Amino acid sequence: MHIEIDEISKQFGITAALHPVSLAIPSAALVALLGPSGSGKTTLLRILGGLEFPTSGRVLFDGQDATALTVQERRAGFVFQSYALFRHMTVFDNIAYGLTARPRANRPPRAEIARRVTKLLDLIQLPAVGTRFPSQLSGGQRQRVALARALAIEPRMLLLDEPFGALDAKVRKELRQGLRDIHDETGLTTIFVTHDQDEAMELADLVVVMSMGRIEQIGKPADIRARPASAFVRDFISA
Amino acid sequence: MGKPLIHRSPMPGLGLSMGVTLTMLSLVVLLPIGALLWKGASFGVGNIWDTINRERVWAALFLSFRLSLFAALFNLVFGVMLAWVLVRYRFPGRRILDAAVDLPFALPTAVAGIALTALYAPNGAFGSIAKELGAKIAYTQWGIFIALIFVGLPFVTRTVQPVVEEIEREVEEASATLGASRGHTIRWVILPMLAPAALTGFALSLARAVGEYGSVIFIAGNIPLKTEIAPLLIVIQLEEFNYDAAAAIGIAMLLISFAMLLVINLIQVFSRRRIGYV
Amino acid sequence: MSDARLIPFRPATEETPTTRLVLIGLAIGGLGLLVFGPLLIVFAEALAQGWGAAIAALSNPDAASAMRLTLIIAAIAVPLNAAFGIAAAWFITKFDFRGKAFLITLIDLPFSVSPVVAGLCIILMFGSNSLLGGWLVASGYPIVFALPGIILATMFVTFPFVARELIPVMIEQGRAEEEAALTLGASGWRVFATVTLPNIRWALLYGVLLSNARAMGEFGAVAVVSGKIRGQTATMPITIEMLYNEYLSVAAFSLAAVLTLLALLTLLLKTALELRHADQLAAARRP
Repeated sequence: MHIEIDEISKQFGITAALHPVSLAIPSAALVALLGPSGSGKTTLLRILGGLEFPTSGRVLFDGQDATALTVQERRAGFVFQSYALFRHMTVFDNIAYGLTARPRANRPPRAEIARRVTKLLDLIQLPAVGTRFPSQLSGGQRQRVALARALAIEPRMLLLDEPFGALDAKVRKELRQGLRDIHDETGLTTIFVTHDQDEAMELADLVVVMSMGRIEQIGKPADIRARPASAFVRDFISA
Repeated sequence: MGKPLIHRSPMPGLGLSMGVTLTMLSLVVLLPIGALLWKGASFGVGNIWDTINRERVWAALFLSFRLSLFAALFNLVFGVMLAWVLVRYRFPGRRILDAAVDLPFALPTAVAGIALTALYAPNGAFGSIAKELGAKIAYTQWGIFIALIFVGLPFVTRTVQPVVEEIEREVEEASATLGASRGHTIRWVILPMLAPAALTGFALSLARAVGEYGSVIFIAGNIPLKTEIAPLLIVIQLEEFNYDAAAAIGIAMLLISFAMLLVINLIQVFSRRRIGYV
Repeated sequence: MSDARLIPFRPATEETPTTRLVLIGLAIGGLGLLVFGPLLIVFAEALAQGWGAAIAALSNPDAASAMRLTLIIAAIAVPLNAAFGIAAAWFITKFDFRGKAFLITLIDLPFSVSPVVAGLCIILMFGSNSLLGGWLVASGYPIVFALPGIILATMFVTFPFVARELIPVMIEQGRAEEEAALTLGASGWRVFATVTLPNIRWALLYGVLLSNARAMGEFGAVAVVSGKIRGQTATMPITIEMLYNEYLSVAAFSLAAVLTLLALLTLLLKTALELRHADQLAAARRP
């Protein structure tokens, strides 16, 4: 799905988290929102997911104004930094949640839900953890379960907030490739937030560098590395 | 070689603190309870059963337990709602409301008893309204129900409040991004997270209500078979110096309390084991 | 649909304004019926015949003696329980021994025993027809239907308060500071007075506050052991019952109003402690 951000701004009280920013994200792209903390990247992601409402501006999905769509209507697969798994549910129930939460009329039958959950567990390469509780999983496993849960609703896009932030370096490397594979397999427009320039450069097709609520530069990793648009970008990517 | 009874420690005061603890615990709590059990043992199981197995005693035990259960159920629902309102919403007077939840702990039960009676009696402020509507509250089981709600009111709220404070917003947001309505999120995500704490509060509230005396006797009417609670039977037996009968009913109530204490602990162990938190 | 600012937005973690309003209304209504109503009626009934009648009721010798007795009971029972609470918390948190969980359960026991049963236990232990009680009465030291029995009953029902509050706080604070003081050559008492006590003083005060409120207001356990002798063993709550049963409403509610003011003061101090020293109180605000 093609996503367009049109002059979006966000005020929290008197502080501006986002100055009007505009950005077009082509269908099936894997995009990194890169910047230090407080740069507005998470706010932008949450606006796309419908968790925050912009002070001004519009969001368009495939050319349609989606600004007024509620979180539930957006069908954005959102992976939270803390994963936000439901700890009183098994992994299976976590992944099935988005399907069982549907109104009875368009809820898939039980067998169909089980089939889809099994398929997703295979996709994240954890076929045997369905009956476990989140507290019995490692950090990397939890992240993959959160991803599978987001994919279960057949989302129109995938939004990830610091998806590797809580993991140690080794697991982080492995899971980067995992995200790349899932993106390529599903063909979903995928946007992830990170403060790690290595991660952004290595993984993304398109990197959006942000600072102080503004977009500093948009470009392919190689272009940004070769031609940083500002002193900030140069400092940040060489850090 | 087994584990030592007490590990060696450089900390001072072992003898003194252990001595004071065990002596006072024995003198104030254990020996008196032991005296009750001893009395029961010398009275005999058969005699205890004969004392309890009378219509009036069964009626009182059943009444105490049934109304306590209803009051605790009311407090379960109202307490969870109150905890939610106090933690999540901001409105004028919230702090006063929060402090007021503790009043049943601080207010002497006899004071609560006469105040509730004055309020809910047929000529009282609330009782007269009920009378207009054709209902009688004080001196009926409804009065006992209200007094038992009062004494158990803080338990559920105070056990659930810290848990509500700790719910991560992201978990609720995750539910919404997966398409769940707010109602679905509350039913399937939030309430299950509150359930262990709420059940603990429920059990505490129930245990308190079953043994409650002071706030109930004024409003109850105390009519045998109808509005006579179990603790009152003990008082009546004692006033007639009928210690054996008092002990028999006391033991029955003690057993009910212990059973409930056991249930509270089992709930906590169960939820800790299964979900990894309480 | 194009102008974003005109569309009402509700965050995913909030209920609709109507739901909020209904819930807040239910909370205020419920507490009004159950808590604020009784609170107001106490003062309304006490002052039903004006201030003069209320003050006259309180200066009656029986009322004055009841207040004195209640103060004496609290003055003896609360410090004893505070001493027990400190000793028990020290024993439980500074040493490792088998059966610790069981000991804590035993300390908590009075919370799950009906006050009437507590009083009954004390009568069976110390009453004149028991072995120990008979001997004590014969020697001129009656326990039941006298001050010692009332104090014992009061201590029974308030037994866990201080220990319950101190144990979690002292577990959280660990033993390192005390160990450091010991290595510096401080004596046991000095460690307690200069290291432990400053760390637990607010929690101790909190426990004492709750314990005191319950001690002054205890009815069920005291009613059983007191014998209700006017001017001698009738505490404030017992006197309230007697006056109420004699239809002396103003007198009963005047005495009740004094206890209610005490309860309100307790809540005020408790709330102040929770606001100021939340970090030094037991994490779980369990009763």
